[in-house]
Amino acid sequence: MRAVIAEDSVLLREGVSRVLGDAGVDVVGTCDTAEELLVRVQSTTPDIAIVDIRLPPTHSDEGMQAALEIRARHPSVGVLVLSQYVEVGLAMKLLAESADGVGYLLKDRISNVKEFVAAVRRVSDGGSAIDPIIVSTLLSKRRNDDLLTELTPRERDVLELMAEGRSNQGIAEKLVITVRSVEKYVSSIFDKLGLPSGGSDSRRVLAVLLYLRA
Amino acid sequence: MAISSAEPVVLAPDPGPAGPRPWWLWTLALAGCGVATFSFVSAFYSETVTTELGEPLVVAILVNWNTIAYVLCGLVAWSRRPESRFGLLLVAAGFANFLSTLSWTTNDLSYTIGQTLDFLPPILFLHVFLAFPTGRLETRLERTVVGAGYAAAISLELVRMAVGGFGPHNLLEVSSNADVGLWAVRTQLIVVSGLLLAGVGILVHKRRLRRRPLRRSGELLVDWFGLGLVMIAFLFLSIVFGGPAVREIRWATLATIGLAPVAFLIGLLHARLARSAVGGLLVELHADPAPADLRDALARALRDPSLTLAYWLPDFQTYVDLDGRRVDLSDEPGRTTTVIERNGARVAALQHDAALKDEPELLAAATAAAGIAVENARLHAELRARLEELRGSRARVIEAGQSERQRLERNLHDGAQQRLVALSLELSLLEERLDGDPDATARLAVARDEIASSLEELREVARGLHPAVVSAHGLEVALEQLAARAAVPVTLTVRVGSRLPESLEVAAYYLVSESLANVGKYARASFASVEVTRRQSDVLVEIVDDGIGGADESRGSGLRGLADRVEALGGKLRVWSPAGGGTRVRAEIPCAP
Repeated sequence: MRAVIAEDSVLLREGVSRVLGDAGVDVVGTCDTAEELLVRVQSTTPDIAIVDIRLPPTHSDEGMQAALEIRARHPSVGVLVLSQYVEVGLAMKLLAESADGVGYLLKDRISNVKEFVAAVRRVSDGGSAIDPIIVSTLLSKRRNDDLLTELTPRERDVLELMAEGRSNQGIAEKLVITVRSVEKYVSSIFDKLGLPSGGSDSRRVLAVLLYLRA
Repeated sequence: MAISSAEPVVLAPDPGPAGPRPWWLWTLALAGCGVATFSFVSAFYSETVTTELGEPLVVAILVNWNTIAYVLCGLVAWSRRPESRFGLLLVAAGFANFLSTLSWTTNDLSYTIGQTLDFLPPILFLHVFLAFPTGRLETRLERTVVGAGYAAAISLELVRMAVGGFGPHNLLEVSSNADVGLWAVRTQLIVVSGLLLAGVGILVHKRRLRRRPLRRSGELLVDWFGLGLVMIAFLFLSIVFGGPAVREIRWATLATIGLAPVAFLIGLLHARLARSAVGGLLVELHADPAPADLRDALARALRDPSLTLAYWLPDFQTYVDLDGRRVDLSDEPGRTTTVIERNGARVAALQHDAALKDEPELLAAATAAAGIAVENARLHAELRARLEELRGSRARVIEAGQSERQRLERNLHDGAQQRLVALSLELSLLEERLDGDPDATARLAVARDEIASSLEELREVARGLHPAVVSAHGLEVALEQLAARAAVPVTLTVRVGSRLPESLEVAAYYLVSESLANVGKYARASFASVEVTRRQSDVLVEIVDDGIGGADESRGSGLRGLADRVEALGGKLRVWSPAGGGTRVRAEIPCAP
C-alpha cells in the first residue's frame, strides 16, 4: 500500500509517517500544503492520501478542498481527513454521495496505532472510517419518531461500529462475537429501521449516516 | 474636510438693488414706441428701403418691431430683475437698433449717424445672446469677440463712407473709389459673419459645459433663438457670395431676431415662477415635514432635482447627510455649493446646479424660509452621526476581541493540541516496545488517557474561544453540528447562498448556539426550528421553540451579549416569549447584497 501525507505540523507528519512505515505502508510522499498534495497525488497515484483539514496558507478549509478535489478527480485514491475537531456537517460534506474510500477522524486517533493503521487500510481498500464521535453525536440526536429506541443495546453497539465503517469481521472482533451473529444483528437493524439491506460496507455506512442525520 | 469648493457663496438676506422708478420706465417705453413710429414713417421716404430692400411695409414693420420688442422686453426685465444688467442691455440694444434706422432719413446729419451705425444691430444681438442672463460678458473670449464685432462694424463702415458711394447725404465722403468701397463691404460682411459664428460656437460650448440637462426650459428656448445669429451670418455670406433669395432670408432673420426678446422674457418669467415656489415651500414647512422630506421640498422650490442638502457638524468638521454619513461636496463641473448660515453659524450646505447662481434672491429666499427646519434636521443628522460613531466603536471593540480570540484559538491549535497528539503517539510507540511489562503498560495507558482528557478539554476551550469551523467552512456546516447536539429535535433551514461576512457568520453562530442552549436549559420544548435566510439587504436568523416561553434577557445569560454583537453589526435582536407560548428569537443583520 502506498500513502501520501499532507500535514503542516512536523511532529505529526513525522509521527504518522513512522507509524505507517512501521506497519509496512510505503509512504511515497509527505508535504505541508494542499497545493503540493495535489501535485503528489497526481504524480504518484497513491492508494491513500492522509490530509490535515487545516493547511496553509490560511489554515481554514484548504485541506478540505484538497480532499474533495482528490475525491472528484482520483476516485481510486482513498482520502483520510484528520482534524482537531470533528463535525457532522463536515463529515456529510466529505461523504457527499458515497462513503467509498473516505475517512474522517479526530487527530487523537493516531495514537491508537493499531486502530489507526486498520482505518488507513480500510480507506485505501475503498472502505470508510468515520470517527466514533460523529456516529455517537448522530445517534444521540433527538428525533420526533425515534425508531432507534426499538433497537436492543447490542444492536445499537453493532450499528455504531457499522457506521464507523467496520466490516462484519471487524465488528465481530471488536465485540468478541461470531461473524454469524453480527450478520443477524445487522439484518435485524436494517429491518427495524426500514433500510434496504445488502451492498458493500461503505454503502451501508452512507445509508446509516443519512438515516441518522435525517 | 468634505468641502473643497473654492468659494462657497455665503448667503445673507439681501433684498438687492431697488428697481427703477415707474415714471422712468414709462418714459422709456413711450420713447421706444415714439422712435419706432418715427422710423416706421421714414422708411416710406427712404430710397434705400424702397429700392434696395424692397417692400418698405414689411421691412419697416420687422425692423421697428425689433426696436419695440427689445425696448419693452428690456424694461420688463429691468423692473423684475434690477440686479441684473440684462434688462438695460436689451433696452440699449433696442434704441441702438433705432439709431441705425436713421439712415432712412434725408437729413444729412441723422443720415450720416444712421449709416455709420448700419452694421451695429447684428453685433448688438450677439452681445445680448452672450450676456444672457446676467447682462455681463463673463469670459475674456466673449469680451474679445463682441469688442472686435463693434470695432469691425463701425470702422469698416467709416472706411466705406469715406470712399463714397452713399449719395448726397453722406457727410463723411472724402473721395470716391468704388473698388475700395466694394472691398470694404465684403470684408465687413465676412468679418461680422465670422464673429457671429464664433459667438454661436461660444454659446454651444457654454451649454456643453453643463453636462446635465438644462434646468430651465426658458434657457433652452433662448438657445434655439441663438440660431438667429447663424441666420444673420448666412444672410451676409449669401450677399457676398451671391446666395439665393436674399430678400426672404432677410425677412425671416429679422422676424427671428425680433422674437428673441420674448424668449428672454420667458426665461425671466420662469425665475419669477421659481420665486413663487418659495411660497409653496413655506406652506410645506408650516406643515412641519419630517427631516427626510426637507431636501425634496427645497429641490422642488429651487426646481433642481439633483439638489444635495448636507448638514454641517462643527465637532466633526465635516458635512453629513441626514443619516449622519459623511458627504463629499467637492467641486463638480456645473455644480455650485452654497453655505446656509443661521445666526452667523454654518448650519448646512446646498450643492446645486450652477445655473441657480443667477438667481441669488431665489436661493436666499428658499434657504431663509427653510431656516428652522434645516437647523432641526441638522440636529437630527448630528444625533445620527454620534449614534453611528458609537456603533462603530462598539463594532471595533467586538471585532478586536474577536480577532484576539481567533489568534488564541489558532495558537492552541498549532501549539498545545498538536504537541499533545504527538506526545500521545510517542507514548503508544513506547508502549509497543515495552510488551511484557504489564505495570509499565498500565501506567502508559493511564498517561494516554490523561492526554486524551486534556485534548478533550482543550477542544472545548478552543471552541469557546472561536468557532473555527464557522470561519473555515461556513455557517451551514457549523450549524448542523449544533442542531445534532441540541436537546430537542431541530429543523434547520439555511438559505444563504454563498458565504457571508465572517463577523456576521460568527454572530449568527453564537446566536443559534446560545438560543439552542437556552431551549435545552429552560424552555421544556419538544421541538425547535432554526432558520437563516439571506434577504435583499440583510440576513434573518430566527430560532423558535414550542416551550413554556417567559424568557427574558436576564435569564438567558448570553442573550444580552448576543444583542450587543448583533447591534454592533447594525442589526436588531428581538425576543418574543409569552408565557406558555414558546420563544422566538429573531435577529435581522444588515448585509450588502
